[in-house]
Amino acid sequence: MTALTSVSFKTPQLVARIIRSAIGILVVFWMAVRAYNVLFIDQPYGTDTWVRFAISGLIIGGMYALIAIGYTLVYGILGMINFAHGEVMMIGTFGGYFMLEALEATPAPTPASPDLNFLNAHPLLSILLAFLVGTAVASLTGYFLEKIAYRPLRNAPRLVPLISAIGASIFLQNAVQLLFSPQLRDYTNPDVLARGIGWSINIAGSNVMITYTGVLSFSLSIILMIGLYVLVKKTRIGRAMRAVAQDKKTAALMGVDVNAVISRTFIISGALAGAAGVMWGIHNGLVYYFLGFVPGIKAFTAAVLGGIGNIPGAMVGGLVLGLVESIGPAALGIDFQLKDVIAFLILVLVLIFRPSGILGAASVEEKL
Amino acid sequence: MKRNDSAFKSGLRSGSTFTIIVLFLVLIGFNASGSALLARLFGQAPLSGQLPPVVYGLVFLALLAIWQGASSTIASRHKGFHVPWLSGFSSTGLAGLVLAVFILVFGSLYQGGADFRRTLYALSPAYIKFLSADQSPVNGALINLFVLLIAGGIAGLAVVYLPFGKLWKQVKVTWLRFWNMDANRSLRASRYFKFGVYALLVLFCFFAPRLWGSYWNYVFGLVGIYVLLGLGLNIIVGLSGQLVLGYVAFFAIGAYTVALLNAPVPHNLMWGFWPAVVIGILLAALSGFLIGLPIMRLRGDYLAIVTLGFGEIIRVLLKSDLLTNFTGGPRGIQDIKGPSLFGFSFSSDVDFMYLIILAVALALFIASRLQNSRVGRSWIAIREDETVAQASGVNTTRYKLLALALGAAFAGIGGVLFAARNQFTGPEDHVLMVSINVLSLVIVGGMGSIPGVVLGAFALKGLPEILRELANYRLLAFGALLVVMMIARPQGLWPVGRPSLQRPEPESPPDKPEESNREVTHG
Repeated sequence: MTALTSVSFKTPQLVARIIRSAIGILVVFWMAVRAYNVLFIDQPYGTDTWVRFAISGLIIGGMYALIAIGYTLVYGILGMINFAHGEVMMIGTFGGYFMLEALEATPAPTPASPDLNFLNAHPLLSILLAFLVGTAVASLTGYFLEKIAYRPLRNAPRLVPLISAIGASIFLQNAVQLLFSPQLRDYTNPDVLARGIGWSINIAGSNVMITYTGVLSFSLSIILMIGLYVLVKKTRIGRAMRAVAQDKKTAALMGVDVNAVISRTFIISGALAGAAGVMWGIHNGLVYYFLGFVPGIKAFTAAVLGGIGNIPGAMVGGLVLGLVESIGPAALGIDFQLKDVIAFLILVLVLIFRPSGILGAASVEEKL
Repeated sequence: MKRNDSAFKSGLRSGSTFTIIVLFLVLIGFNASGSALLARLFGQAPLSGQLPPVVYGLVFLALLAIWQGASSTIASRHKGFHVPWLSGFSSTGLAGLVLAVFILVFGSLYQGGADFRRTLYALSPAYIKFLSADQSPVNGALINLFVLLIAGGIAGLAVVYLPFGKLWKQVKVTWLRFWNMDANRSLRASRYFKFGVYALLVLFCFFAPRLWGSYWNYVFGLVGIYVLLGLGLNIIVGLSGQLVLGYVAFFAIGAYTVALLNAPVPHNLMWGFWPAVVIGILLAALSGFLIGLPIMRLRGDYLAIVTLGFGEIIRVLLKSDLLTNFTGGPRGIQDIKGPSLFGFSFSSDVDFMYLIILAVALALFIASRLQNSRVGRSWIAIREDETVAQASGVNTTRYKLLALALGAAFAGIGGVLFAARNQFTGPEDHVLMVSINVLSLVIVGGMGSIPGVVLGAFALKGLPEILRELANYRLLAFGALLVVMMIARPQGLWPVGRPSLQRPEPESPPDKPEESNREVTHG
């Protein structure tokens, strides 16, 4: 009788574990079969196509990585998901867009071409200005977001700041929509950096295009990631951030101004998201109010994939997610419309089977 | 003298936030919509696409200023500053100055033929003219400055010199005395009173759908469906404390069940509405159970994101070409056949309203019985502390799964009714925003509170239809509301009370000691 009751008491957990494992095995098995079919039997694509997928995946992955770092930094320090981070990125995209528009409207005539504008007269300077404005606007958004929506809730139960973050995200989206109209707009690039032009290399007998915008985005994202790593590991600010992430109270006792560190964290993560946003605009070419949502969720996936709270993990996770997302549909032989499903599926699977991510965060189990 | 100075300064401080809010409202074009609403209240609703009379714009600004002036003055008085009304003047004066500069600059630019609509969407020439009260930019700026300054200042003065506080206290004391009268109490406790209230409600529910016309049937039908969804999510989030953001998935399952079983395209099954109701509820509950199984380990924000992922997967799948042959793809499913009973077809909106009222009443009954049962107490224990609940012998996995399945069942019937009423369902009916709307109404009403859900559904789904001039700003207000509620009133508008066996002690009025004595001898 006791055995019976104890069995019936344990049954749901047991069933849950069995079903969990069954789902996992089925999904992995299905993926393996599909990938084997595509790669060795059907072979629908040549090497050049795979290289093309990989390049676009790396470029997008760099942007995901930059956004994911923001999630990871905030999670490491406050233990909350900054749900509005995608909106911070979107605002950065808008900042860069308006800067480029303004520069395009500014005349800079030369004797050779009298109706030249500033944007095309000084393309690199213009892009630099756009990045500066984008990061500045996004940093400011991050700063005020923390100050208004999160700081009053510092000691509230865990769900409360998350709901506040969801609210802030909806608010920012709709504020941008109401201010700047719901329409989709083309991002204004300088002519030399127009989308779709670049170097072409010969791979396996056909030309693969490496766009200038892609090279710019990817190299800039790598530079920013290295810069952030140095900032966190080598400087006073970074040491303070690490101290607060480990233990807020002790850090405060050691003379660290916790509020200032948290503000700085939001500024830094906002700046990275803003830079990613301007890259997004320059490379993908569209800007609209809802643009931050999907990259936001995907970057969160990347952060979880790498182990949330772990900065190198977020970088690796971003790049891996970008690659998987662009190669995955082709490798599994499914429709490209289902690209987003792959990202969400990865998120769900990682959270269910290995919540500590690839590189593993130290204390994620107790935070779960 | 120094004290005057600080009331002034405190006004400037609170006024800077107010200024930002006013400028933001101006930039998103809220002034036009707000004053159109005011104009409708006075029976002068503008035609669609046209701006209301200028006066209402100024009245709208004045109302904002009165609010700010009064609250800023109250804050100053609370801090003990010497001349508190100065802060009313200074705070709205600051906003007035900035607004005046704004109107001056943009008014002159627009007179010069500039157009900023490509950047700032709301700023059409007509709107700028409306803001400057149909005057030249200079006059318009001055008028706005004076309206804000005077309205805010007078509000501040009124707060200081008119006995609002005493009046309010008097009203409160009188009301409490009336409410706690012995006759009143015994009346409320009597069974006939309860029956009377229920009878009135039933009568209202019977006659109202016939009387108030199809538009209000549509609106309140939507409110009813959201009450169903809210009751379900209330079980999941409010009682068992699992933040599920993919709630719309269960709604979609209900909607697609009735659609696939009762539409000519794509399958032409035509099983009828009632089997579809049962199957929809069962399928939704089953999917809640199945989704629950793998995610039982997750808590808090991880759970939220995973369920959001599930919801998005379902939406993308519904939209993709993969399932077009099975679910109709991006175009959705049309011509869903409505219910019929004994040969009598529920075709009109009134019939559907009755159906929804019936479902809501049933759901309210089930939800309240569940909440006050052993199951409900277990859920609340899990919400408060899962580890402790488990240690006290609550089978957390089982109860969490039960909460998910039951909550999903409520969403299933909501989806069935929604799709059958619209005779259409498609991927765009099942976006993340539905989950967020339902979550907002549960939170605004008060997590775990059933009357709160009803109140929240009316506030978030009914009010926007009544204030339809402001429809564009609905989501903006949702977002702001979520943040503000979390900061100022996390327990919601109608928080759930702890069950108590004791008769609550009435609030003793401070200036009537003999009153409270009497109560004590009675209690």
